[in-house]
Amino acid sequence: MKIKTAIIALFIVTLGLSSSLALAAGDVLKVRAYSDLKSLDPAYSGGVFDEEIQGLIYSKLIQYKPGREWGYSLDAAESIQQTTPTTIDFKLKEGIMFTNGFGEMTAEDVKYSFERIVDSEVKSTNSPDWGPLKEVVVNSKYEGTIVFNEPYPPAWNIALPYIVGNIISKKAWESVDGKVGTTTPSVSGPYLIKEWQPKQKTIFVSNPDWHGGEAPFNELQIIPIDDESTAQLAFEAGDIDYTRVPVSSVSNLKASPPANSIIEEYPSLYYVWVGMNVENELLSNQNLRKAIQHAIDVPSIMQASYFGAAVPSTGIIAPGLVGHRDESLVAPEANVARAKEYLAAAGLSGDVRVTLDILNKAANVTTAQVIQANLAQVGITLEINLHESGAFWSLGDHTAGDRYKDIQLILNRYSMAPDPSYATGWFVTSQKGVWNWERFSDAAFDTLEVAAKSEVDNTKRDQMYQRMQDIMENSGAYRFITHEATPVIYSNSVNPGFRPDGLPLFRYFSSN
Amino acid sequence: MLLYFVKRIFLGILIISVAVTLMFCMIHLVPGDPARIMLGPRGTTEMIADITMRMGLDQPLVIQLMKFFGNILQGDLGMDVISSRPVTAIVFGQLPYTLWLIFSAIFGAMLIGIPLGCYSALHRNTLADRVTGVISVACITAPSFVVALYSLLIFAVTLKWFPAIGAGDKGDLFDQATHLVLPAFAIGISWVGYLSRLVRASMLEVLGENHIRTARAYGLTESTVVYRYALKIAILPTVTVIGVGMGFLISAAVFTEIVFARPGLGKLIIESITSRNYPVVMGSVLVSTVLFVISTTISDLVNAWLDPRIRANL
Repeated sequence: MKIKTAIIALFIVTLGLSSSLALAAGDVLKVRAYSDLKSLDPAYSGGVFDEEIQGLIYSKLIQYKPGREWGYSLDAAESIQQTTPTTIDFKLKEGIMFTNGFGEMTAEDVKYSFERIVDSEVKSTNSPDWGPLKEVVVNSKYEGTIVFNEPYPPAWNIALPYIVGNIISKKAWESVDGKVGTTTPSVSGPYLIKEWQPKQKTIFVSNPDWHGGEAPFNELQIIPIDDESTAQLAFEAGDIDYTRVPVSSVSNLKASPPANSIIEEYPSLYYVWVGMNVENELLSNQNLRKAIQHAIDVPSIMQASYFGAAVPSTGIIAPGLVGHRDESLVAPEANVARAKEYLAAAGLSGDVRVTLDILNKAANVTTAQVIQANLAQVGITLEINLHESGAFWSLGDHTAGDRYKDIQLILNRYSMAPDPSYATGWFVTSQKGVWNWERFSDAAFDTLEVAAKSEVDNTKRDQMYQRMQDIMENSGAYRFITHEATPVIYSNSVNPGFRPDGLPLFRYFSSN
Repeated sequence: MLLYFVKRIFLGILIISVAVTLMFCMIHLVPGDPARIMLGPRGTTEMIADITMRMGLDQPLVIQLMKFFGNILQGDLGMDVISSRPVTAIVFGQLPYTLWLIFSAIFGAMLIGIPLGCYSALHRNTLADRVTGVISVACITAPSFVVALYSLLIFAVTLKWFPAIGAGDKGDLFDQATHLVLPAFAIGISWVGYLSRLVRASMLEVLGENHIRTARAYGLTESTVVYRYALKIAILPTVTVIGVGMGFLISAAVFTEIVFARPGLGKLIIESITSRNYPVVMGSVLVSTVLFVISTTISDLVNAWLDPRIRANL
């Protein structure tokens, strides 16, 4: 019996030791991503999770600069400048090599990479990021000019340093007839993909030919973990070196941080709001919409749903970006008396019943419950409709039946890139029934949306976007809630690089 | 026996056809346009139409279903339009992880549960039997996701004995085994309780039968009576339950794969349903249904092999 016990104990200790040793060994960085790789082709990149991988293996003319303020640093470009409102001149560094014998990066590769995105044959979902791109003119082996049909300031914020700014090898892509899925014929970034294990991890090794010198880690693993709480546990168990954590965990983590860890909070760019369908029979009454706006107490939502880790938003454009408003027209705090006045003006002082559609996430459920309590205070009964993601994201789609007509209130959250045009584009009249589920329509808003995108004067641009948010809020169709927050945790052996909104720039991660 | 086997094969095909047809209808009834969900907000009308056509969703449901069955007969589960990879490769890439998890869980449960049940039966109404009973029922009532979370917190986060997430490095069997321990424990623990109770009850029944009394009367040792004669009969219900239980284990694997961020069929099904990735949903459901049918068929065949009375009635 004693021998058996000893063997079992020895087995357990061996397992424990071996797993601890495995985690501690080598110059390997293990980081979490919220989704698995979908495509290595920038034209079909699914978003942030694909860019986290593509950002490691491809070069761009410029890269987002890690830090608390938005900016960029040169990558493949030796120099780059806006020469006229519609042209950007660039000169590549010499000697940037593509792997697998596809030669040196030239301006032809830049031309191919950028023009391919806007080529209608390619059907890239990311083509809007290049806006009115006309062409890239090759001036010499290393020099070129990016030409737009009209001024396009967002190019510096969401095109050049982001997904569509990734430079691919023309020769390599042509060698596979432009068909690149989860394997890529050639790269030029600091890391190479060693292996992709679907749903498990993507393993990178340093690229010996990288123009930037030696990559900070010999090996880097991106591990897809959908659930943030699981990712947090994985960090605490020592399985990963970095992850975003749930906002609900921030206070606990700060009170008793895991050993050798650093917690940081970044403001997010996401925007959360309660939208109201202006074409719905009941909510076409603007006074009712305004009553709801004033009844919702945003600070209570911040406490209940975001545990105090997020702050109320003033619109759809986050702080730090052009167009951000310092204050909203309707104060974040509820004004019950004012709400009741609007309700009386609406002629609906009796039993008013409205529905709120939400995606089935914990924070949304809590937010909906707070709103339910807020509205009850002014005599509005709220019914909450919970949807799973597939059903939720087609609610306002006018091509998917008549469900869009039944929407009354909707709690929504959109992702965002660091340019205001990325936020406002969904609320124009042409987006009604697509992503404009409030079916909001305003001619002045539509005109400003087009004009602001090509406005090169930042001060004017700032005013235009602020005005657009005023119009949205005045319509009564929007109650802005928050931009959320991005709390992250990482090992103190890692020196990370984050965008100002807390998204990781893994190529800048290094060991301390 | 051969006729029985053929009958079972036909029944299996029928079950698979019905299950797949039902699933096909269900996923098409759920609201949500797969093309729009896949392409996201940037999808233009032309792109959506293109994806819809490539997925064959522009055709009537009956045609889509017929095509799906036609393709199955040719061993083709279609293409995933998101990753441009064959569905067969995607599903079979994930299947081994789930199979390892399920087999480890059930093997571990059998290893503990069956001897525990025998011990209880042989020490009926003693303190040990009662303690075993309490532990078994406690195991049965413990939901796998709760066990998963607590085992993660205790053995991975606090004690750091086992890794918390993933399935281990390819080619490193030891690493893979350590990654299996906690997930297998999470879904296997309730089966320890089930099997122990089941074997105990079954064993008590068998031990009271005439042929066991006869064996004892011949002076055979107690261990020979129990393990050679009684257990062979007492194990029959267990074999049936394990066969049927494979289906439940696949369901339990879904939660476990999410909690432990393990690759696998369950996680694949959830993700593909959420993204309305119909070809992958159908491929995964087909494979898991086939697994279920195979396991129940095997359990029936093993039952027939172990029990001459069942063979005689075939």
